[in-house]
Amino acid sequence: MASTSPERTAEAAGTAGAPAGPRTFTEAVRSLDDAGLLALLRARPDLTAPSPSTLRSLAARASSRTSTERAVAHADARTLQVLESVLVLADGDAPVTPDAVATAIGADDESGGAVVARTLAEVLAAGLAWDAGAPGDPDLRPAPGLDEALGPHPAGLGPARPADERLGSSGKAPGRLTDGDARSLGELPPGGREVLDALAWGPPVGVVPAPGTPARAAVDGLVSAGLLVRTDARHVVLPRDVALVLRDGRTHRTPELAPPRPEGRGVRPEIADAESASAALDLVRYVDLLVAAWEETSPSVLRSGGLGVRDLRRTAQALGCDEATAAFVVELAAAAGVVADDGDAPPSYRPTTVADAWDELDDAARWAMLAAAWAPSRRTPWLVGSRDEKGTVRAALSPDLHRGWVPRLRGDILGVLDAQPGTALGADAVMTVLRWRSPRTVPPEQAVSGLLTEAALLGVTGAGAMSGPGRALRAALTEGAGDEALAAAMRAALPDEVDEVLLQGDLTGIVPGRPSQSLARLLDRAADVESRGAATTVRFTTSSVTRALDHGWTADELLGELSGRSRVPVPQPLEYLVRDTARRHEAVRVGSAGSYVRAADPTTLAGLAEDPRLAHLGLVRLAPTVLAASVPAAELHDALRERGLLSALEGPDGRVLGTRWRRPPRLERDAARRGAATVETPSDESRLALVASLRAAENGDPTAVDRLAARARDGARPTAPGAPARPPAAHPPAARPGDAVAVLGDALRDGRRVWVEMVGRSGSLERRRLKPLRLDGGRLRALDPDREAELTIAVHRIAGVEPAD
Amino acid sequence: MPDGPLIVQSDKSILLEVDHPRADDARRAIAPFAELERAPEHVHTYRLTNLGLWNARAAGHDAEQVVDTLIEYSRYPVPQALLIDVAETMGRYGRLTLASHPSHGLVLQAADRAVLAEVLKSKRTAGLVGERVDDETVAVHPSERGHLKQVLVKLGWPAEDLAGYVDGEKHPIDLTSPTIPRTETEEPHTWEMRPYQAQAVDGFWHGGSGVVVLPCGAGKTIVGAGAMAKSGTTTLILVTNTVSARQWRDELVRRTTLTEEEIGEYSGSRKEIKPVTIATYQVLTTKRKGVYTHLELLDARDWGLVVYDEVHLLPAPIFRMTADLQARRRLGLTATLVREDGREDEVFSLIGPKRYDAPWKDIEAQGYIAPADCVEVRLTLPEHERMLYATAEPEDKYRLAACAPGKNRVVERIVADHPDDQVLVIGQYLDQLEELSEHLDAPLITGATTVRERQRLFEAFRSGEISRLVVSKVANFSIDLPEASVAIQVSGSFGSRQEEAQRLGRVMRPKADGRTAHFYAVVARDTVDQDFAAHRQRFLAEQGYAYRIVDAEDLDTVA
Repeated sequence: MASTSPERTAEAAGTAGAPAGPRTFTEAVRSLDDAGLLALLRARPDLTAPSPSTLRSLAARASSRTSTERAVAHADARTLQVLESVLVLADGDAPVTPDAVATAIGADDESGGAVVARTLAEVLAAGLAWDAGAPGDPDLRPAPGLDEALGPHPAGLGPARPADERLGSSGKAPGRLTDGDARSLGELPPGGREVLDALAWGPPVGVVPAPGTPARAAVDGLVSAGLLVRTDARHVVLPRDVALVLRDGRTHRTPELAPPRPEGRGVRPEIADAESASAALDLVRYVDLLVAAWEETSPSVLRSGGLGVRDLRRTAQALGCDEATAAFVVELAAAAGVVADDGDAPPSYRPTTVADAWDELDDAARWAMLAAAWAPSRRTPWLVGSRDEKGTVRAALSPDLHRGWVPRLRGDILGVLDAQPGTALGADAVMTVLRWRSPRTVPPEQAVSGLLTEAALLGVTGAGAMSGPGRALRAALTEGAGDEALAAAMRAALPDEVDEVLLQGDLTGIVPGRPSQSLARLLDRAADVESRGAATTVRFTTSSVTRALDHGWTADELLGELSGRSRVPVPQPLEYLVRDTARRHEAVRVGSAGSYVRAADPTTLAGLAEDPRLAHLGLVRLAPTVLAASVPAAELHDALRERGLLSALEGPDGRVLGTRWRRPPRLERDAARRGAATVETPSDESRLALVASLRAAENGDPTAVDRLAARARDGARPTAPGAPARPPAAHPPAARPGDAVAVLGDALRDGRRVWVEMVGRSGSLERRRLKPLRLDGGRLRALDPDREAELTIAVHRIAGVEPAD
Repeated sequence: MPDGPLIVQSDKSILLEVDHPRADDARRAIAPFAELERAPEHVHTYRLTNLGLWNARAAGHDAEQVVDTLIEYSRYPVPQALLIDVAETMGRYGRLTLASHPSHGLVLQAADRAVLAEVLKSKRTAGLVGERVDDETVAVHPSERGHLKQVLVKLGWPAEDLAGYVDGEKHPIDLTSPTIPRTETEEPHTWEMRPYQAQAVDGFWHGGSGVVVLPCGAGKTIVGAGAMAKSGTTTLILVTNTVSARQWRDELVRRTTLTEEEIGEYSGSRKEIKPVTIATYQVLTTKRKGVYTHLELLDARDWGLVVYDEVHLLPAPIFRMTADLQARRRLGLTATLVREDGREDEVFSLIGPKRYDAPWKDIEAQGYIAPADCVEVRLTLPEHERMLYATAEPEDKYRLAACAPGKNRVVERIVADHPDDQVLVIGQYLDQLEELSEHLDAPLITGATTVRERQRLFEAFRSGEISRLVVSKVANFSIDLPEASVAIQVSGSFGSRQEEAQRLGRVMRPKADGRTAHFYAVVARDTVDQDFAAHRQRFLAEQGYAYRIVDAEDLDTVA
């Protein structure tokens, strides 16, 4: 393992003279001032939850594997190079200075050096490295958990050998040769150079060639010269010291100090905005259609949650788009609260009252509503239709489409796009940048292309490049601007509204631009759209005119509306179409009535319709022998009976009453569920409060300690069943879990023994003196020197630890 | 860029605002690659299709030109996806070429190995190609030249045919002016090819093979004669029917150096093979015992040119035969490439790309075809007929409505309005036509009329001896009645758009005195007749012939 050896620590502390730097990471943390602590907590948010009780436990948590891995997981390539470099260099003898790191990375020019120095400051602040040198004389060390977090081959280097087996083992910086080493490198077996070159820049592990081949001879020669190490029957590894020599002392071949800027097609801003606007209009229309379609037939909720495959297909048909797009629209509408699960038994998806508000908004405001819902969404609609581990098809709106990392990835992607304005970036290009940003956690390519597709559908990108509205959305994400700012940005991108339609003799009409809301409504009712885009082409047909008449227009009103919006008079064929249709439309009339009265003799019914006492029945004479009433048959029946008419109830099969169609009520549901989706990040106030309490604990304020300890124990530590109820021994060891781990960590590092108080099998407390050997995965392996036995203890069974010597 | 006359939609339609000052420039600029879909009064709609874009490539336009044109004339930013699609589609044409290899004969060559690999992998090309010559070349069986081209269009990689043509047997043909009279009454007159006809002949000849699109009455026969003169070889002319064959013969004798002895007719009644042979589609597609019996005609001579009249009607077997004629120059003539069966791509791959096209209205504006006035007369059926109609079986409804007795009176009325015109009455149903023929005291021509009788009547009509003629659908195509200036359609076959166009074409031959042609469609109101009429008229309305609608009761106002 490449961790800092205890000898080096002691030596460094010894030779540095006064004032000496901290001896351990824990000490380094404990010696931080308030600003330093605040910076640490800010850089590593996971350290504050749950709140550590003491600085020692803070240090232990910061150097724990989980926390370090988390910090490293999101580090960019530059930070990782610096960390790897520090880790590797710290294993040598020379003090690790920023200059040394810059040289090792290959950033020896001035600007590169400055970037490296800045990055070093960041990793120091984040507690991923610490400075063991005296003030003004830096000697950087990796944080204790770092070597594990960076994996077995940092910077593509193989394992470090014990100091005396290394090349140049006469106490010099790594990568510098002694004469003997130069000789052994100079006298390589044939083909050996090629083998070494292949492994030099990593990965350092090679497969042993088949026996009898020249390559095998070369490898064997290298192994016997001590330049390669056989790890097992099939593999060899290039030791770290040899690789460093081959690398000429460098840890990295090429410095990756700045994010890559992938090539992309150039897109002019007005093109991006125009494409964005047309995408936005399409999306808004899709949601409109969705509300209309689901109002008519509400798809039912699957038992496992979500929308069935068949319902999705039907929705896609209603929207006129493919199923993937439909899945996105459905998810987005649900996120915006326009549709929701009605919670009935059986449940179905229906438009909510938010849809009413939606109806009142203009296109830009509707878009803003959708965009604001999209920004924090954790949904992954691109997975719809794929199968999960159990082989079940993932359904739209189902709970298992939730992924916590989506908002962060979305933000990252928007950041990448925004960094290269006017350039169309595809999924590959974005991946290149994201890979630099967090090489250790590369986002799934499917998610990246899924989110890019969503961005395009939403108009956040236009022709592949960030659009004006997209930038506004990003600003809203980072600065928290309101929907109104979003709507304004989209309004600026949308083409001007046109309130005019060109009517033509072939029964078509053309709106040479974006129709105004009122014009769109008129054409929606009275015509069928043939083509949409920068202009709208519509065709008037018998059925479309019938639709308008169904909405209560008369032929004259419709023609009046049309001619009012047309520069030219309404063409004769269109006028004929409207009038002929209207004539036929009114020839047969349908009305609704609650019930009717009929009689064989007209005289029986005479005067009923005009009787003021029966006005509440809403009687209308349809024919001399038939009256219609607006009230249900039973009520009519009773009223007529009261008036002295001996009426009988009738129905098609004897006893059936008329029913009235009622619009299904829209759901009462609040759209403002978006807030819940954001992660609660700690504020600086809460961090400062934590720093104060840590400081108090450090200075021995017992109440603070106990209070915090109690909280920590209740909140964080899973109590073992049968844990002791009685308090620990009179001499309380490090009782707080974080502290215990910190003390164990220190002891491990320094090879010292500790008193460990643990819960035994029987549930009683045992106290043993142990030498910790390894602390890993929630288990402590330790040697009991008194009993000369090794034992493994689950950390949660450890009640307390205190140094034994 | 802003305020151009075009609006480019992402669904590949292009809207052209006619009244825009730059509309004409834009129209000329996009005509080579966009198909005019409809041309009503204010905004014309063009469409980008793969075939259209490939036609443009065949005519030497490249994608950059197309993209620049769209951007230059567009009012709004052009959708990026569309521009990319245009470039990709056009990039597909000519990646494969058919060429003559000095040692391997006919070969398919690829500029791009991947494309060749892709098409060779397809099952459809199996058996059409021979051995691989090298990485970019594969031998093609000469007999499969047409099939291969057909398949390649279907696969989306249309091949450019550079393999050339056989020269064919030489036979000098020249255009003659003045004309050579065919009858004693006819006077010789001087003539020359109209500019657009000459352009069409040139366009065809440079392209090698292909289709010329000209409106009815614009003189397609003359384009054919021009092409024959240019070729100077033996020629096979395929036409729709015998009457049309005779008209071709008359025109050729009248306007070229060809004599009647040099022109043969190959039809049901006669089987002559001469240096210029005119055959009907029908005789070629006749089968006896499952075998096409007249195929030998195609190889009877070493034809240097094959002319297809009315390409939009070409029956499927002719396509198959044409596939074997790929080494000969082919000229397709038509008024519209719209095929009701959607086989435009076969015309493209087997006859050739569109080589010339002129919008009807342009030619009308130049005075070469008569301006036309289209009127739809709506007849309100009397009460008892409506009842009959309402209760009729659905399959009888159209016939009932189309043959409404009230139409006879309307037709009489219209005929009375045009005492000095040559009037054609066109219909679908024989009993209706017979009745009309009696009412109007006009001769009737149907499928049952003998060719001799038909020709006699047409001649009499042409010469003005008779001024009224009732015809069934036999008159739909290729009957040259120059002086007909009024057509009245009483019934049609359900809703065929090109039938309507052809019928209008009957009256659009330019008139000696430049008078306006009239086209009346009589329909029964509120019936399927009206619906079908609407469908049929769509084509003409889209060509810019706005219909006026007149109630039968108000006919007095029409004149």
